Amino acid sequence: MPAKHLGLVVIGFIMLYPVLWMIVSSLRPGDEIFRNPGLILDSLQTENYTEGWNALNPSFGTYLLNSTILVLGCIIGNLVSCSMAAYAFARLNFSGKRWWFGIMLGTIMLPVHVIIVPQYVLFSQAGWVNTFLPLIVPKILATDAFFVFLMVQFIRGLPRELDEAARIDGCGHPRIFAQIVLPLMKPALATTTIFTFIWTWNDFFTQLIYLTDPEMYTVPVALRSFVDSTVATSWGSQFAMSVVSLVPIFLAFLIGQRYLVKGIATTGGK
Amino acid sequence: MLKGVRRRTALTVLVSLTASMLAACGSGSEAGGDLTAEPVTLRFTWWGADDRHKRTQQVIDMFQKKHPNITIKGEFKEWNGYWDSLATTMAANDAPDIMQMDELYIASYSERGALLDLNEAKKHLDTANFDQKALATGAVDGKQYGLPVGLGMYSIMVNTDLLAKYDIPVPDDTKWSWDDLKKIGDQVSKAGGGQVFGVQSPGINDTAGLSIRARQQGKSLFDQQGKVVLPPEIATQYWQYILDLSKTGVAAPPSVTIEKASAGLNQSATATNTAAFGFWWNTQLTALTAASGAKLKLLRLPGESQGKPGAYYKPSMFWSVSSRSKHPAEAAAFVSFLANDEEAAKILLTERGVPANLKIRDAIAGQLKETDKAAKEYLDTVPVSDPPRITPKGASTLDAILKRKTEDVLFGRTTPDAAAASFIKEVQSEVDAAK
Amino acid sequence: MSALDELRQLRHGGVQVRKRDNKAAFWFLAPWFAGLIFITVGPVLASFLLGFTKYNLIQPPKFIGFDNFARIFSDERLHNALGVTFTYVLVSVPLQLACALGVALLLDRGLRGLAFYRSAFYLPSLLGSSVAIAVLWTQVFGAEGLINRVLSFVGIEGRGWISDPDTALSTLIVLNVWTFGSPMIIFLAGLRQIPAVYYEAAAIDGASKWSQFWRITLPLLSPILFFNLVLQIIHAFQSFTQAFVVSGGTGGPSDSTMFYTLYLYQQGFSRFDMGYASALAWFLLLIIAAFTAINFWAAKYWVFYDD
Repeated sequence: MPAKHLGLVVIGFIMLYPVLWMIVSSLRPGDEIFRNPGLILDSLQTENYTEGWNALNPSFGTYLLNSTILVLGCIIGNLVSCSMAAYAFARLNFSGKRWWFGIMLGTIMLPVHVIIVPQYVLFSQAGWVNTFLPLIVPKILATDAFFVFLMVQFIRGLPRELDEAARIDGCGHPRIFAQIVLPLMKPALATTTIFTFIWTWNDFFTQLIYLTDPEMYTVPVALRSFVDSTVATSWGSQFAMSVVSLVPIFLAFLIGQRYLVKGIATTGGK
Repeated sequence: MLKGVRRRTALTVLVSLTASMLAACGSGSEAGGDLTAEPVTLRFTWWGADDRHKRTQQVIDMFQKKHPNITIKGEFKEWNGYWDSLATTMAANDAPDIMQMDELYIASYSERGALLDLNEAKKHLDTANFDQKALATGAVDGKQYGLPVGLGMYSIMVNTDLLAKYDIPVPDDTKWSWDDLKKIGDQVSKAGGGQVFGVQSPGINDTAGLSIRARQQGKSLFDQQGKVVLPPEIATQYWQYILDLSKTGVAAPPSVTIEKASAGLNQSATATNTAAFGFWWNTQLTALTAASGAKLKLLRLPGESQGKPGAYYKPSMFWSVSSRSKHPAEAAAFVSFLANDEEAAKILLTERGVPANLKIRDAIAGQLKETDKAAKEYLDTVPVSDPPRITPKGASTLDAILKRKTEDVLFGRTTPDAAAASFIKEVQSEVDAAK
Repeated sequence: MSALDELRQLRHGGVQVRKRDNKAAFWFLAPWFAGLIFITVGPVLASFLLGFTKYNLIQPPKFIGFDNFARIFSDERLHNALGVTFTYVLVSVPLQLACALGVALLLDRGLRGLAFYRSAFYLPSLLGSSVAIAVLWTQVFGAEGLINRVLSFVGIEGRGWISDPDTALSTLIVLNVWTFGSPMIIFLAGLRQIPAVYYEAAAIDGASKWSQFWRITLPLLSPILFFNLVLQIIHAFQSFTQAFVVSGGTGGPSDSTMFYTLYLYQQGFSRFDMGYASALAWFLLLIIAAFTAINFWAAKYWVFYDD
């Protein structure tokens, strides 16, 4: 066992080196970051954090708040709509199922860069530019086929006897879905929540395109605003705010991963 | 039923998409009319980093105080994201009213009708204190599509601390040749022992070096019609020089050279004190001095005294107004404020380059840092010739093509000869494709 | 008879012919249908039609027939990009999935400090697409990076791995493998779904850990492994952000990290040729669809479903 731990710690250190370097650099005076890199700090400076927080107008708190609102909307949207669609694909028998499933998968195969322009035109006609609607409504309408597919795979892995039994007892699909399938697919729901959180938190391109007013900017858009290849970049502030923005997703992950543990393994066995 | 609905909706969506893609210029108030007293909101977008965002917002606030009925919504982006979102908003006919424009893109946007001819808004836009040569850099066929904000000049930055350390005298830049640079670079490399090199190679971030090489020999990249007229032998000579620097160890090994040059200002060889000479815009002196912590000095490019002077003023960026702006007169008034107001200038200083407006340039002189003063002095004293033609429509990838060819040459994937020929061919086909 | 065979028989014996439930399906799929109609179909169709036009985003599109599609076959830089992309997909996907599965198995149960390790291994994935990654990767693979410092201990002279066209792509593959967190989480969730009774039954039958893995874990995890494989392949074909950030948007040096989507993006947004970019997107869709179809076809032979 200690050997296993040692191995994991070594792998962990190598994997975490860049992250550690970033944290260390965020505590260093800005102009020293590239002149003497390394993991050892001579002094501890928190200036980057105060400067980075106030470097843009509005301050970083606004972006954190905007990202949080956006993330919550997307999580709720994905959990509800994707699980419903997934139940239909995994458990219901309907006409043209294979065909629809193919279309569903097909929607994730086109690169976003050619869709974004027509989609922007569409949302701009609807007057949705510079609101969170173009970012949240698609999630409410299950356009994130990744999660539909993920949940389909999970539901197909659940023992069928459970819902067959419920069906014999006279349960309709809504009840089977809500009372049997949903509780059993907690790991998948937790995965969806974690991923939606992280991907939305990090997604740059669509948020950049749709959110035009700095008051509406989100964390990734703000983080890139520090970095412009044509002028000097305050990397110190950038790293500091990157670290700050890592905290919520890291916490979300820490909390979320507990629910991964509560799968069928605990209900079905021991 | 479902199918019917789907078909109809899809059709509606398509029709509305095409309609808006086809939509002609929105007709708002006239650019030459009077400023309105009604409440007006203008969108103003620029690229940059946090320092620029702060200063610009302060100037916006000042303008709004003077014109209480005009609201300016500032939208800041970084360079890459800026162009993505500008292009997207153009497609939706939803572009900001006032934008920061770059020399590489100005023809691509203006010749496709996206930008307003500022002459139409002359009534609100004061250009009296601009040098005609400078103004010309923002004009295509006599139409003023951009007002130059700041000017810059391609130059050499030398780390005098490094030279002093190795006991090498600073060269006399009024006389030096390209060979002199190679020689003195070699001395530095020998003294640097593999840690410090003589020259950070050109040809990775900017075509200005190539352009100046051609101009020194009386040639240019493009003719007035936008055709590529660069003689292949000049391009060959340019890449042969870069290859020689690398092969003789005057410059760092190729992979290190590329890494430092493409990583951005803070990680460059100049900023990390690992090369004594670097090719930069004179206006980057302040940022580089701060990043390197060393003493840097601006020198003229080599070869300026042997042939014709190749140096020229390059606008760091332009102010442009969207041709589809509903309030062109107010937008022009704001641009005029940005370019002419002394109080505004005292906040913006040289963050966007040494001001092209001569009166403003003098007005802020007293407030400048030592390095900014040096950059200004360089601009005021070094002799220049007429600026080259604006990068033609379609050639906005010019710098990217140059970088790729330099990499091919440095890694031995092609010869300077072949790189020159294919560079010329590729740039010409880009220009042709956009016709 | 092993526990698994028994189970399989038990389940498949009970299958009965079921009637269609179109009405229920319609309601469950209603949000998805709405999304398809109102959000997806229009832009997808528009991008398809734009593939037949010359469209510079500023002026109205002009119909030019199949020119854009014809250009696909003569565009040498695109062919290079295809080569780069295929290499990336074929090397990085198996490596990433192997790492993810390996670590997921290690971290599944019976180890102290599990939550900590899981989070630590996931941390890099949180950063994967951040703009800071460009700098962080230089700290590892740059001329003065970690790798070269280790190499210099053993007396090997390194190079700027990211900016050498021979090694640049490999550093991006490592970057992709480094961010194996997402498939790892999906594997972990899948492992959690395997009822513990199976292992207990197998242990009673005297099966070794190794044979438990092959006969219980792998078959029961196969839908999840299949999911990861399909999605990671699609994802790798569309890989954009990491190459964009690390190469500063150029796909350099010497086009050695020019991924297909990066090239497509440059065509659309740097060269203002959205028509060609759209044609490229549909060509990529064909390639990905072909790979996915093969995957689904092959799945019949190795993926174990419960229905």
